[in-house]
Amino acid sequence: MKNIWLITLYTLREAFSRKVFIAFFVVVVLALVGFGIFGSLVKVDTLLKGLEGADKQAALNQIVYRIELMLISPVYGLGLLLAIFASSSFIPVMLEKGNIDLLLSKPISRTQLLLGKYFGGILVVFINISILIVGIWLIIFLKFSIISFPFLFAIFTITFSFAVLYALIVLSGVISGNSMLGMMLSYMIYLIISPLLASRSIIFQFIQSDFWQKIITFFYYILPKTSEIDKLTSGLVMNQTITNFQPVYSSFLFLVVVLSLSIYIFEKKDF
Amino acid sequence: MYSIEIQELTKIYSPGNPSKEVKALNKLNLNIPQGTIFGLLGPNGAGKTTLIKILLGITYQTSGSVKLLGVEDSYQIKSRIGYLPESHKFPLYLTGEEVLNFYGRLSGCDSKAIPGKIDELLAMMDLTKWRKTKVKKYSKGMMQRLGLAQALMNDPDLIFLDEPTDGVDPIGRKEIRDILLNLKDQNKTIFINSHLLSEVELMSDRAGILNKGNLLRECSIAELTTNNEEYVIHVDRALEQILSQTLIDEFKVKKSVEGVYSAFVTETQNINDLVDAIRNNQITLKEISLKKKSLEDVFISIIQDAEKEGAK
Repeated sequence: MKNIWLITLYTLREAFSRKVFIAFFVVVVLALVGFGIFGSLVKVDTLLKGLEGADKQAALNQIVYRIELMLISPVYGLGLLLAIFASSSFIPVMLEKGNIDLLLSKPISRTQLLLGKYFGGILVVFINISILIVGIWLIIFLKFSIISFPFLFAIFTITFSFAVLYALIVLSGVISGNSMLGMMLSYMIYLIISPLLASRSIIFQFIQSDFWQKIITFFYYILPKTSEIDKLTSGLVMNQTITNFQPVYSSFLFLVVVLSLSIYIFEKKDF
Repeated sequence: MYSIEIQELTKIYSPGNPSKEVKALNKLNLNIPQGTIFGLLGPNGAGKTTLIKILLGITYQTSGSVKLLGVEDSYQIKSRIGYLPESHKFPLYLTGEEVLNFYGRLSGCDSKAIPGKIDELLAMMDLTKWRKTKVKKYSKGMMQRLGLAQALMNDPDLIFLDEPTDGVDPIGRKEIRDILLNLKDQNKTIFINSHLLSEVELMSDRAGILNKGNLLRECSIAELTTNNEEYVIHVDRALEQILSQTLIDEFKVKKSVEGVYSAFVTETQNINDLVDAIRNNQITLKEISLKKKSLEDVFISIIQDAEKEGAK
């Protein structure tokens, strides 16, 4: 555990030293500033004019929920896109000749090394996403004096979605030694494949073949469901009761399988 | 006791793929005693770095076995091993002392002992005033010295150095040599890969010559460089005018410069016969010694012989 923690910490340090992380952080800060300015333009008293008593508080709660709902999907998308971009090179940099030799010559197992890098990447994203979400949450609190804890769940759902896609980045990094493949695959899953598979019932209206429907369903179950986790996040923010956790379970299974495969390949690889 | 024991070690890259298959090491056997500085020599692509990487578990062997400090296949033994790879890359965002701290902690050093060890090694490598400078500003020589410091952080019993003096100026090389000789005095075993034959000759007790994955020769530096056939003779008069032609032909006596001659003896001859003849002729024998060959001469000759053998 000590070795994993050490590598995790130094991955965080590596991220802080890189421009891409600073860019990530700057975008987060800019988003917060933008939201702060927008918030300052909203006059709560004007919004509530004409509302009385209990209705007033309920209406205010509804306004806050709507704002959070309006924000959560762009924040989820922006957070994931930036996180993938910022973390995709951690593994390829570690695998560079002269660096990996040195690391593998130390009394640290390959599994510990890879897990340290994996958790390091997640920690980097968790910190940035936390700043963004907590920042927005604080602005809402200061503006409307409403404490909306469900909004903070987004920190964990976005980090979880990233963790699933990052496992794929780690696998492609271990196999190919470069960051492009992992980035492309992650973006493809997040932007194209996951939304398409989530809407497979619509696709089935056009594809009548039982065989192809089964193939699509198969891929739906084995691939990460970032699109549905996005919707699940919106539900959490709206304080709705979530009954179907299948997208989370199956995505987690994908994470475990892909990460295990990465470790297996890394263990066997010659450097 | 041996620090390194290698038996029948073979490494084949891309086995089963005829167009890509490369035999990097071929049934290599080698034992290196504790407290030795061993120099591994060989042309590019001989398999030197592959050998070190297999020993350290960075690359896996196809067959054969290795033992380091008496232990086979254990990454835990690496806490007693130091390694300086060729063209090492340190995280450029770290300072010199942070590099040592990171690799020291990874090596399993006691965290309380690390600051003191960093001070000691930075002073030893003459890097104290650069300790707070990011390594991206270090020169190649400074990087190399920092690399060596990194390899010594855990006070290892066995040290692998791949081109340790690469990019280091002559004074720095001398300092590194002195450090390594000092480590040898502490009974540490040092395994050096180097293209700089003169460096290996100056530092090592033993050397091995590797070519195309085959260990062609392994012995002490003295055995490698001593020529048991050729003598250098310093005298005060011209031998060719005094000694009989028969004797000159028999020992193939040749003048090198005024007063210095070379003579060759075969297994059936005795150099004393020549010495007796010189003294009987009232010639003053100022000096007689076995001619020492440079390691470079030996290396080139062994590699060329192997190439010729391979061509047959």
